[in-house]
Amino acid sequence: MSQCVRFITRCMALPLACVISSGCDRPDPANRPLRPSEVLDFGVLYAQNCSGCHGADGKLGPAPPLNDSLFLAMASDADLQRVIAEGRPGTPMSAFARSAGGGLTPQQVTAIVSGMRSKWSAATTRPAAPLSPYLTQVGHGTATAGAAVFSRNCAICHGANGEGASKAGAVNSPAFLALITDQALRRIVITGRPDLGMPDYQHAADGAARPTPLNEQEISDVVALLASWRQTAAQQSGQVAQAAGASR
Amino acid sequence: MNRIARQIGGWFEARLGIAQALRPILGHRTPRGAKWWYVFGSATLTLFLIQVVTGILLAMVYVPSGDQAYESLQYLNYTQELGWFLRALHNTAASGMVVMLVIHMTQVFLMGAFKYPRELTWLFGVGLLAITMGMAFTGQVLRWDQDAYWGVGVGSAMAGRLPIIGPYMVRLICSGPTIGGETLSRFFALHVFVLPGTLILLVVGHLYLVLRLGISSPPVAGKPVDPKTYDAEYERELANGVTFYPNPIRRDMIFSALTVIVIVALAAMIGPMGPGEPPDPTIIKSDPRPDWEFLPLFGLLALSPAPLEPVAIFGVPAIIGLVLILIPFVGSKGERSPRRRPVAVLSVILFFTTAGVLGWLGHTSPWSPVMDAWSGLPVPERMVKNLRPLELQGAAVFQVKTCRNCHALDGIGGERGPDLTKVATKLTHDELIRQVIQGGGLMPAFGSRLSPAEIDAMVAFLETLRPPGEPPARSAVTARR
Repeated sequence: MSQCVRFITRCMALPLACVISSGCDRPDPANRPLRPSEVLDFGVLYAQNCSGCHGADGKLGPAPPLNDSLFLAMASDADLQRVIAEGRPGTPMSAFARSAGGGLTPQQVTAIVSGMRSKWSAATTRPAAPLSPYLTQVGHGTATAGAAVFSRNCAICHGANGEGASKAGAVNSPAFLALITDQALRRIVITGRPDLGMPDYQHAADGAARPTPLNEQEISDVVALLASWRQTAAQQSGQVAQAAGASR
Repeated sequence: MNRIARQIGGWFEARLGIAQALRPILGHRTPRGAKWWYVFGSATLTLFLIQVVTGILLAMVYVPSGDQAYESLQYLNYTQELGWFLRALHNTAASGMVVMLVIHMTQVFLMGAFKYPRELTWLFGVGLLAITMGMAFTGQVLRWDQDAYWGVGVGSAMAGRLPIIGPYMVRLICSGPTIGGETLSRFFALHVFVLPGTLILLVVGHLYLVLRLGISSPPVAGKPVDPKTYDAEYERELANGVTFYPNPIRRDMIFSALTVIVIVALAAMIGPMGPGEPPDPTIIKSDPRPDWEFLPLFGLLALSPAPLEPVAIFGVPAIIGLVLILIPFVGSKGERSPRRRPVAVLSVILFFTTAGVLGWLGHTSPWSPVMDAWSGLPVPERMVKNLRPLELQGAAVFQVKTCRNCHALDGIGGERGPDLTKVATKLTHDELIRQVIQGGGLMPAFGSRLSPAEIDAMVAFLETLRPPGEPPARSAVTARR
């Protein structure tokens, strides 16, 4: 029997050595599974809720980039929280707050905003020129003035009437304009799409800095022009629908 | 000192007669040449004893109520000193018990040890297999996390689809029409009283038969079992055999001890299993899977068309059970050696290969649709880079309208519908619009849920989805011109 014991002791050596070398796997309370509503880690929240449209790293997604220091400098925390919580009616951005039918608690919305700021607000690339107000000012611009601004600044890529050219696509298409609001247009005019090569309001199409950035009035005028295209398209489709109704 | 101990021992022995009862067991003769093939049954029993001890200790802390079960497991994992190890040991030894049991049965089957006169011993073993799997399933439910909750949910939903007895089965499993606190109490009672009690009874019967009929001698090719001559021949082998003590029992003990050491070491290294996410029927972003013992069945379920699902989940285990029961009656005579039983060997290989493949499929099969794909899985950057404004909006609509939950891009996303990475090479503009508006196949119609602008934008995006060199799809009419 003592032989037996010696044999077993010898055999114990290997597994024991394994345990000692790898350490016991005592569970760590930090890894305990959380309810979806308890998650406050920005990386997890972003990867579950935002990266689908805004891209894995906040850029190169179909929706406007969030990893954009100019945008983050313009928009206040309150703006960001409101858009996340309530969505942007009139665009594909849907509401994410529980109160609006989404899945996020107010704490989670705050966590996403502060995470965006700490991860993507690069202080060094703050624009030199004074910032335009972020929010659209209704009635501030006129389409006729906007047409002049457009032909000077935008037509080189988007075509004389916004019909698109080799360098960039159409912005006068009724479907495009129906899926974007004036506020979202204003944001794109100001920030451009740096991830897709569209310059911001301080830069020209070739990427060089402009002598004078687009000013507040010019930005509002361009948005007014695009809004007028949207209105024309809606009226035309309304007339088509009416004509179709009358012919029945 | 020694003398006093012997006197006390003798006092008890005179009244209890334990040594007297054990002596024939230890001294009973066993055939020669049994060697190390015969140790798996006793290892299974040893692991069961670990389960009894750890199970009793766990039951002292575990609260079998719907609102506190999860908390009590968290307490064991994080607060109670060595509570995590207790849970780990119970789980690892449970897995070890299933493994040993399957090895033991395979060995008995391959060596033909179930043949005359040991048919009943085999049947007791089949009963033990059924009860052990029942212990594994009920134990998994006691973990009371998302896996457990949905495990019972899937099981009872399948039971509910059985003809005639369906509704009664649901009430039997859930203790009501839905899963609730009483369901957990029911599984607790099964896991702690009913099944272990039955298990112990079956073990007693199994061991009694092992002792009464003796263990079978190793098979010899060309020496078939004939009930007429077997008994006399076995007597001759026994006369030539060895006593159970010291050598055969020593092999059993050494192997059991090694098994325990490995199980303890594995438990310490792997740690406890779960509990995973808290059970909550409102959380649908969950990927529940059964424990490994049931993954082959889960894989089969995942592969089955909907009408066959109840057949897969109940019919297949029933058929396996029936086959196991019939084995000793169909093959009670004849050759025992695996060398002369190619069908037996092939069926073992076939069984384990099938179970392995199905288990792998069960482990990897995707839950479809992927509920948070629309908001979580990025549109591949290479697809976004050259999009025009309308197409960008279309890609956003594609995500927001949850198309991604069923359709993958570049292989990432739901797998319920086809991967759309190259859809523009297969469907024309008009066909895309038709498919989105009217649906078709498994796809619902989205015409009423999308505005015309959204459909325009999304189709514009889908039309960009083709590899650079490949031409877009053309309609048949145009192609003929």
